[in-house]
Amino acid sequence: MVQKVHFPKVVITGCGAVSPYGVGVGALKKGLYENLNCIHRVPELEELALVKTKVAATVQEIDYSSIPRQRRRSMSRMSVYAYYAAQEALAQAGYQQAPQGLGLFMGSTLNSISVWMDVCNQCLGGHADLVKTSSFLQIMNHSPQAVVGQALKINGPSFAGAAACATGLLNVGLGAMAIQSGLAEQVLCGGTEEYHPMFSACFDIMQATSHNFNDRPELSCRPFDAQRTGLVCSEGCGLLFLEREDLALARGAQILGEVASFASNTETENIANPSAQTMQECMSAALQKAGLTPQDVDFVNAHATATLAGDAAESQAIYNVFGSNVKVNSFKGHLGHTMGSAGSLELIASLMMMQQEECIGIKNLQEPAADCAPLAYVRQNEPFKIHTLLKNSFAIGGNNCSLIVRR
Amino acid sequence: MNISKEEIIRQTNEALKKEFELTDEQLVPQANLKDDIGLDSLDAVDMVVVLEQKFHINIRQGYDLRSIVTLQNLYDFIEKIAQESAQKEP
Repeated sequence: MVQKVHFPKVVITGCGAVSPYGVGVGALKKGLYENLNCIHRVPELEELALVKTKVAATVQEIDYSSIPRQRRRSMSRMSVYAYYAAQEALAQAGYQQAPQGLGLFMGSTLNSISVWMDVCNQCLGGHADLVKTSSFLQIMNHSPQAVVGQALKINGPSFAGAAACATGLLNVGLGAMAIQSGLAEQVLCGGTEEYHPMFSACFDIMQATSHNFNDRPELSCRPFDAQRTGLVCSEGCGLLFLEREDLALARGAQILGEVASFASNTETENIANPSAQTMQECMSAALQKAGLTPQDVDFVNAHATATLAGDAAESQAIYNVFGSNVKVNSFKGHLGHTMGSAGSLELIASLMMMQQEECIGIKNLQEPAADCAPLAYVRQNEPFKIHTLLKNSFAIGGNNCSLIVRR
Repeated sequence: MNISKEEIIRQTNEALKKEFELTDEQLVPQANLKDDIGLDSLDAVDMVVVLEQKFHINIRQGYDLRSIVTLQNLYDFIEKIAQESAQKEP
């Protein structure tokens, strides 16, 4: 006899964000709903003659003096973002300090390239013996998780899953699974990333960057649009506080949504080219795990970075699973591609739409592209009550993630 | 390495101020590196690297750094190393 295993429900009770719109979920909300521009020309890219894209979105200077020096000395910029996002998520969940046993699941695509470069320059100059310990701590693979965990005394299980552009969503999925499995009762989870022009250069050589609106940065990132040429690199951090539903109810926490399921699979045909079939299978697996039909999902927040191949494949995959009626948007037109933080930062923005009962239109989608499937793309902000949403993150490297949240 | 005591004090203070975000008021000779200046074990490790770079000396081997308690101890220690290395120079 097969016994059905009942996993505890996992709910979201806190969010924290640092984005090119500024520090805080409030800044993210204002930027997205008011359709503000945060993409700008990057001086370092002007110097790189072979790189076609000249734009990016970056977090403006943060006053990090409130972080004690002995905590900050081990923090690269992405860890500073994560520190503030973690504090905000904890506060929204109702905690001034991390609760006992809190788990931390957080990763990034790469570690701080600027710190790495300093370290490499020392090594290349024959001075590997003069690399400071605090520099080493900033370039460890799990640096943000380790140093933010230390700074905020997060003492439960901690993991630093990395899956490039799917890192944020992967860690939310892993965090939810940790709660379901009993490894932790509460977790903070998501992704963080800091921009370096090398990101733009690498995606540029893969013919995957926006280069036709360099003189109009606000128009440069165009998900699903006929004039899209690629992504705009960006940075930030999104962290969510997850916990068992019974705990949240017992302590009277505000529930922002329930993580209904998480699915992940891997594209094995090509490490950089997406496949609609694998994406479709990932979304279908998420539906199946949640015990839902496609009709039960009324909103899809797409990964949609505005690359030619990615948007075409994802739109086709969404069409194959949901047909043409499900509402679809992407936040990349606003934020650019925040890389390792994209999945969790955009999940926070999706929860915001759920709370606000108003969808955010896709920035710069003027004419849906002929190579993208006919979907109910949200073109303008519009009132809409989302009951169940699916969030996608599809990474270079082939890691696909889909996560379903319901009220 | 020929360097005056005053120059050792100036350069040490300059390095510590930059590395550990200290003020001039904190950098008095009798200040205890741990209790008054607030340096912990990881700071001490980075301090060694910073001073080695600053004075082109090797202080991580062959010396008991635990005897350095105050800033004055640190100045004296660097002066001693500087004199030793000056004697070794051809």
